[in-house]
Amino acid sequence: MVFRQGQKVEIYQKSTDESWEPYMDTYVGLHGVITDPDHTINDPEALVEVSLVDHGTHRFPQDCLRLLDS
Amino acid sequence: MSELKCPVSVLIRDIRTTIESGELNVPRSRRIAEEIQELLGDIAWGRASEAHVDAIQDLAEELGGTTDDRSPEVADLVRSAFADHREIFHSHISSRNCATGDCARLAPAPCQMTCPAGIDIPTYLSLIGEGRDAEAIAVIRRDCPFPWVCGLVCTRPCEFMCVRGRIDKPVSIKPLKGFAAERAMSHGEYRNPAPKPPIGKKVAVIGAGPAGLSCAYYLALEGYAVTVFESRSSAGGMLLLGIPRYRLPREVIDRETAMLKTLGVAFEFNTRFGVDATFQTLKEDDFQAFFIAIGAHLPFKLGIPGETTSPHVIEAVDFLRDVALGWRESPGNKVLVIGGGNVAIDAARTALRLGSREVVIVYRRTRSEMPADPEEVEQAEEEGIGFEFLTIPVGVHDGDKALEGLECLKAELIAADDKGRMRPRPIAGSEFMMEADVVISAIGQQVESDCLASLTTLEWSRRQTISVNTITMETSMEGVFAAGDAVTGPATVIEAIGGGKRAARAIHRCLNQLPQPQFPPVPVRRGRIACAEVPANIKMTIDRPEMPLLNLDRRRTTFQQVELGYAESTVRDEAKRCLRCDICLRCGKCVEICRDKMGVNALSMGYFDFDHPVRTDFRSTAELCILCGACAANCPTGAMDVRDVGTERILSLCGTILNRERLVVCEDCGKVIGTDKYMRFIQKRTGAMPKLVSTERFCDACARQKTAAFSGDKAPV
Repeated sequence: MVFRQGQKVEIYQKSTDESWEPYMDTYVGLHGVITDPDHTINDPEALVEVSLVDHGTHRFPQDCLRLLDS
Repeated sequence: MSELKCPVSVLIRDIRTTIESGELNVPRSRRIAEEIQELLGDIAWGRASEAHVDAIQDLAEELGGTTDDRSPEVADLVRSAFADHREIFHSHISSRNCATGDCARLAPAPCQMTCPAGIDIPTYLSLIGEGRDAEAIAVIRRDCPFPWVCGLVCTRPCEFMCVRGRIDKPVSIKPLKGFAAERAMSHGEYRNPAPKPPIGKKVAVIGAGPAGLSCAYYLALEGYAVTVFESRSSAGGMLLLGIPRYRLPREVIDRETAMLKTLGVAFEFNTRFGVDATFQTLKEDDFQAFFIAIGAHLPFKLGIPGETTSPHVIEAVDFLRDVALGWRESPGNKVLVIGGGNVAIDAARTALRLGSREVVIVYRRTRSEMPADPEEVEQAEEEGIGFEFLTIPVGVHDGDKALEGLECLKAELIAADDKGRMRPRPIAGSEFMMEADVVISAIGQQVESDCLASLTTLEWSRRQTISVNTITMETSMEGVFAAGDAVTGPATVIEAIGGGKRAARAIHRCLNQLPQPQFPPVPVRRGRIACAEVPANIKMTIDRPEMPLLNLDRRRTTFQQVELGYAESTVRDEAKRCLRCDICLRCGKCVEICRDKMGVNALSMGYFDFDHPVRTDFRSTAELCILCGACAANCPTGAMDVRDVGTERILSLCGTILNRERLVVCEDCGKVIGTDKYMRFIQKRTGAMPKLVSTERFCDACARQKTAAFSGDKAPV
């Protein structure tokens, strides 16, 4: 598992995953916090919950996220 | 606060004022006005489509035709706003921006923005701080029908985004909510708001978990006839069946779900969707919309030999469900729990409470990769749960009557991809046997879709969850909505609640032919409570309190609630730590003015930046501040305030008193002329000018009179 609760992340690119919705395009470049990581099987395909600064909380595929700090 | 300039904000304010004044007496006209207000809210928040403009104008015409005395006036307000400012409304929709900034002024605090249900956290914290617990609960229930449940088990994303956390530690938002709910319930002040009159439309909710119950609650408030179909004998879903009683007592669930029954929500228990009640029969029974919230209850399999044939391997969700429903036998003396998430922790702690002597969690990665909540892991360790990390189960060995053990391999973590993801790799030849009486598998759940088989056009994601538009929770079937774990996979209670609430709004719009939003909802501010006055030194030195816990022996032997809750005085003090980000938008204008324009630099506020917070100390303001008031004059929201009270001038930020100084008054007329520091600052700035008057203090007018005596005309030759 890459992402842990409380880590700061950036939406650094669009995802090609089916769960990526058009409105999420506007979130690319935003920063946020992992609030609920994949809680079960450490699946790289799992959606993780991210709270974005000023843009609410959403579940994102992991391929659009990168850590801001360790 | 300055006057609103944006026509969108002005119209919203005017309509809201009319609704709140109670001048719209006819329910239909009030409902139409509320719908107009809501659609305008979409425009203000950049989540509207072009269809909103037509819909609002149609609603205005409908409103104009109602019998209410005030309706024509409100309809005219809408008509004239659109006639005069049509391009501004369209601009809000296309740009999702408000040129005046008025719409942004309503920006919710980061905690509220983060909450998946959009609860107005600063408002209810302020109310709790004032001891107004029942009012706080009423505010919470505008967005979340289960404040008590959430006060005990919410994963609290709000606390991760809490701005106070950039100074020291986030405000304890979750326990404060739990305290207020318990207090309000205990005092008989936990009440439902009045629902709107029945509108004669029926909605079926499938599943009585947090998503289904939330959707039912908000639809019932709108006047819909809601029936919840639940396969179990009681309401709660995973709240009841998946969360152990030592974290969430059953009484809490029962009391809060009972509030829905008093609201008129009907429940059909022991009714399996697809068997006892089908989509077709419900449609024939005049249900016009469906909300599916069946959860994710089907456990994943380990996929190891012996797993399905051994009676000594049980699924964590089944185990927790049986215990929740009253089963109280120890599963065995030695229990192995496989998994690293919250369900594994819950299963292990439950087994311990049932009398198992040794409980070990077997996890294939290391502690730092465990996805369970760190607080839960810590509490499990305190209770004596053991951990076996870097261990991969490979087979279950059954004896004649009992389990021989769980065969495992040791593992090492290796980088599995270029992003640094670590993957456990079995170490060849490291096989070993772990003795056990029972193995509990807790590696996750998926949606049990059998009951939905008849919905042949319902689309599913590749993750085997129901595909929805996450803004409206609409599925691929018209009139069918879904949320909760059935959509997200196993997720959080508050996400399920938020999804249920969103779906309720979307169902309402769907059944009233109103356009759906195009962007996720922006939470609604529920009030602007006056800030409590707190001296800067108090604000900086109140520590986030530790949660008192039940003693260890009882934790290991009973299902009593582990977290005992805060004392009342602790709750009221903790609420004071809130920075009131609903009022201060952290725009930084005050800091800029003080530092760059005034050259004073008295404001040490390092919490404005999410990425790079630096030191904050409200106490240091008093050392440099001259109480000039420039910060307050330039504050766009009124968060920074300077005022004269008695003989003092006080500067405060959202109630935090940053500085207070004795006022200097004119020695001649008695008029206030500032503070000592301010006078010295002015003198320093004008130091090069000749001092015509001595050290005496005079206001401008009196000073002019005095200096007139030395004017050129009268000066001796």
